[in-house]
Amino acid sequence: MELAKGGTPAGLIATVTFQPLAVGQLQALGVGGLPLIVIDHPLGGEKLEGVRRRAHQAVEELAALVGVSR
Amino acid sequence: MTLRSQVLELPDSPEAVFQAFCEREWCDGLPIIPPTPERVEAMLASVAGDAEESLGPLPPLWREATLEKLAVNSVMAGCLPEFFPVVLAAVEAMLDPAFNLYGVQATTHPVAPLLILNGPYARTIGMQSGAGCFGPGFRANATIGRALRLILMNVGGGWPGGHDMATHGSPAKYSYAIAENESASPWASHHVELGYAANQSVVTVFGGEAPHNVNDHVSTRAAGILHTASDTAATLGSNVKWYLSQSQLLIVLGPEHAATIAADGFSKDDVKVFVFEHARLPLGTLKLGGMWGIQEWPDWMLAVTDDRALLPSVASPEEILVVVAGGAGKHSAVVPNCTFSRAVHRPLTRLRA
Repeated sequence: MELAKGGTPAGLIATVTFQPLAVGQLQALGVGGLPLIVIDHPLGGEKLEGVRRRAHQAVEELAALVGVSR
Repeated sequence: MTLRSQVLELPDSPEAVFQAFCEREWCDGLPIIPPTPERVEAMLASVAGDAEESLGPLPPLWREATLEKLAVNSVMAGCLPEFFPVVLAAVEAMLDPAFNLYGVQATTHPVAPLLILNGPYARTIGMQSGAGCFGPGFRANATIGRALRLILMNVGGGWPGGHDMATHGSPAKYSYAIAENESASPWASHHVELGYAANQSVVTVFGGEAPHNVNDHVSTRAAGILHTASDTAATLGSNVKWYLSQSQLLIVLGPEHAATIAADGFSKDDVKVFVFEHARLPLGTLKLGGMWGIQEWPDWMLAVTDDRALLPSVASPEEILVVVAGGAGKHSAVVPNCTFSRAVHRPLTRLRA
């Protein structure tokens, strides 16, 4: 948040289950416009393939957010 | 006195009021006392401070904890006005950054703030420290603990499944408040140990799980009881030990256990050292699951390779809190903390003379 307020591009990554908490935090802290990348839940206890899939999800969403075609 | 809260016009029936509060997600699922302006004003009159004064923003939604909002929730919980200074001291303590209230509110772990009241005010308001102190049955314990929960839900915004992400929640989240049984303790009470005078009244908040029972009906020496307590404290499934720098254990000794331990010449510090030395698991057991691989340990622990080596649950004996509470019987309790919150204490400063 401090980075974003200072002009550095910044955002938040949350799993879909924690999306309401993340949105609530952004709004409560007055940075509701900050980019939010949402990936599948859960993260803990996942095998490597599951972690890779979420990493790809995050990269795809990040690319879309910054307007990069992949 | 000017109150700023929204005024609801509801039918004059307990059922209608309860239903209206449930529909708005303003309660814990149990009936509430309607927070009428008269009741809220009576609550506020018991403390020094103005209704609009805020103790700070309460996470996870960072809404201001004004005395008025805290009084509204204390009325709803069933508090008497004389309980309100204890509620305020507890909220002040929970807002200390060391308590990490955001973590306590939003985690998937079943943590609840346990309130421990020390000093003469516990006796003044009838806070139970003896038999059955964790409940049920005692108005001060039940309603002060409940007021904290309602405040965390209604002011903080910690609604289960929304911003309180606890996987199961916990019965301790309904209400979790005791007093130390100072008259039954063979040692200086918790607040005296912290440096307060015995005649001061002090609240401690501890972000803990519900109590884990320590059943020892046979030990006649300190070591036996403390081995049983240490074994209860060291389990693979507990958060304690994985994030060592934040790990704390609370040992609630029943008076009979405390007497046996003290009769063996143990001081309270001896109890802490004994539990520190024995509440341990072998490295080989720690590798089986829990949080193995994502633990935050000091370098010396990470360097251990012998699977038989016993590793500690907390960083030092000072991270173990010991209080005496409860009534007759050969039981004590261990309360592990959530490992991202540290115990915080505050004296009662808002008692109106």
